[in-house]
Amino acid sequence: MPDADTLIQHYLEGTLTDSEAEELHTLLQNEPQLGSKLLQHFEMDAMLRATKPLAVPGKVIQPALVPRRRFTFATVTTVAAMAACLALAGTWLVLSLPRPATEDTTASVAVLTRGVNLEWESAAIAPGTPLSPGLLKLKSGIAQIEFYQGARVLIEGPAELQLISSGEATCTRGKLSANVPPQAKGFRINTPKGTIVDLGTEFGLDVSDASAEVHVFKGEVELHQAAESMKSLKEGQAMAFAAKAQPLAANASSFASLNEINARTALSDRSQFERWQAQSALLKNDPALKLHFDFQDDESARSLSNRAAQGEDGSIVGASWTTGRWQEKRALDFRNVSDRVRLSAPTEAKALTMAMWVRINGLDRYFNSLFMSEGWNDRKIHWQIVRDGKIRFGIAGAAGHGHQDCDTELFFTPERFGRWMHLAVVFDPQAKEVRHYANGTLLAKIRLKDPSPLKPGIAELGNWNDRRTTNVAIRHLSGTMDEFALWDRVLSEAEIEAMSR
Amino acid sequence: MNIAETHAAQVFLAHHDFVKGVALKYAPWPGLMEDITQQVFLEFMAKESKWDLSSDARPLLATMTRHIAMRLWRERTRQQPDVVQKLADHIRLLAEERETPPRYEDEVRVLRTCLQKLPQKSRELVELYYYDDVGTPQIAEQIQMKADTVCRALSRVREKLRECIEQNLNQGGHAHA
Repeated sequence: MPDADTLIQHYLEGTLTDSEAEELHTLLQNEPQLGSKLLQHFEMDAMLRATKPLAVPGKVIQPALVPRRRFTFATVTTVAAMAACLALAGTWLVLSLPRPATEDTTASVAVLTRGVNLEWESAAIAPGTPLSPGLLKLKSGIAQIEFYQGARVLIEGPAELQLISSGEATCTRGKLSANVPPQAKGFRINTPKGTIVDLGTEFGLDVSDASAEVHVFKGEVELHQAAESMKSLKEGQAMAFAAKAQPLAANASSFASLNEINARTALSDRSQFERWQAQSALLKNDPALKLHFDFQDDESARSLSNRAAQGEDGSIVGASWTTGRWQEKRALDFRNVSDRVRLSAPTEAKALTMAMWVRINGLDRYFNSLFMSEGWNDRKIHWQIVRDGKIRFGIAGAAGHGHQDCDTELFFTPERFGRWMHLAVVFDPQAKEVRHYANGTLLAKIRLKDPSPLKPGIAELGNWNDRRTTNVAIRHLSGTMDEFALWDRVLSEAEIEAMSR
Repeated sequence: MNIAETHAAQVFLAHHDFVKGVALKYAPWPGLMEDITQQVFLEFMAKESKWDLSSDARPLLATMTRHIAMRLWRERTRQQPDVVQKLADHIRLLAEERETPPRYEDEVRVLRTCLQKLPQKSRELVELYYYDDVGTPQIAEQIQMKADTVCRALSRVREKLRECIEQNLNQGGHAHA
């Protein structure tokens, strides 16, 4: 058995075996002075690690070490200190500097927050999507759009709405109702017949080829028409855009209301949830399904039930329960560095498919874990999102072989944050390729260098355990997950597409 | 970062070594100090508007650190085999029972000077193990010695540094290892 110095070193290094731990425990019980020695070494060890320079001059960083870079407190505080210095140096100076070339930007002016039975004539848009200036053509359904300036608009298909800015749009066809809070005062809706300028109110607009009518439910709006003087319309009044038009009584019931969209969203959610429940229950009939976490456990549960016919449950560490894709769907929120679900995946898989529903908040880490095997050696797998927005399926090399990173093109741009996404990855040894999918669409096919079996083993959702006890790289996910499944076979494109609906 | 956040970050930065000292006392588990400090920083900043930063922040930071340390300690150790958990519990009790207050702040400052005074070989060993993340078995392989010998050498270096720190703090003299 090693001597006390070696046992203490192994404790510090995190390499104590069970028998060494037992031996050290016995020694500590029998020799009280060894306890203070161990604590002194422990403190010195921690201090020595803290004196590590951020970059050691003259040293070449080995490429293999680059992914192990740690999001250290030193990094946080250095950045914080720099930010503090900058702020104190004068806001005027910061404001006058050009925006850094790497800063993300967006052209969006509004966001589609909710939708019921949406069918689009223009490109399909899902709730959560930020909207840039352009034409929206809604065939049917009700869409709720929130403009960045604060106005909320419900449009009922069939309708056409051209977004112009965060405070202006043009409606050329269809019905809409708008809720304009005081901070969005001045919100403008143009029509072919004239323009409505809102003074902080609620109103409805009905535009057809023949006419355009405005109904004011609350507050006041201004009607501007070419060759006509501005007209002011008050609560309870309605008016057509026409010369010498007289005020009419407003008819709120002919426009979609928030209550209506709430009720219809609840109904639609319920029906989608029930459809998902029925499909989900069928998955376990597939003997190749090895893991299926549907995240429908009790909200006090700290283990995640595996609905596959065989296999172990997962263990929730840190992550907290929240709402998933629908009101009745549960999900886990991954936010902190400790948050994860630990699970046992097959120790060996000749072929593999993994799929999950996830909503990414942002790419906080260099590597943002979706599913990562413990450690990184001998055909272990790391499914992750790299900070630049690529989805990566990394396969660690077996003895004598290098690892392979199978990357998509850039996919996770800021516009995709905050939206539920169905992601899938397939390891297909027969075709000798890895395939990535998002929302049922093939994103990338990558030629495999080595199609030999994978060895996922113990793994984590939303985080990584690199098996070390010190200097552990932080790769936690910032997002929400509400379903995960793993099969030891290749799923077809049709199967993946069906799951993503 | 707005002005208030900047101020909060500065307050934290002024006390981060204090936080580390408290973290070491309540969670003597390798590698956990950094995680705890990081988490305290994040939680401190998340609620910065709630804190009265005109008074001494140490009591607040000590309480936050203790809570977070206990939480992360439990999370980290409960993943370990029983025998390791028992050892970890024993070490935590030893750390908590120690009467000496954490001196991390003072000691880490002196340590940097002591490191410069180390003999060349000892300094190289510190650089390899602590700065380049080379494990003791790999160091042993590189210098063709037994791993146990490397463990003992590291132990001696730490003891030398401890002596140097004590000497410096107690006597107020020049750091000397």
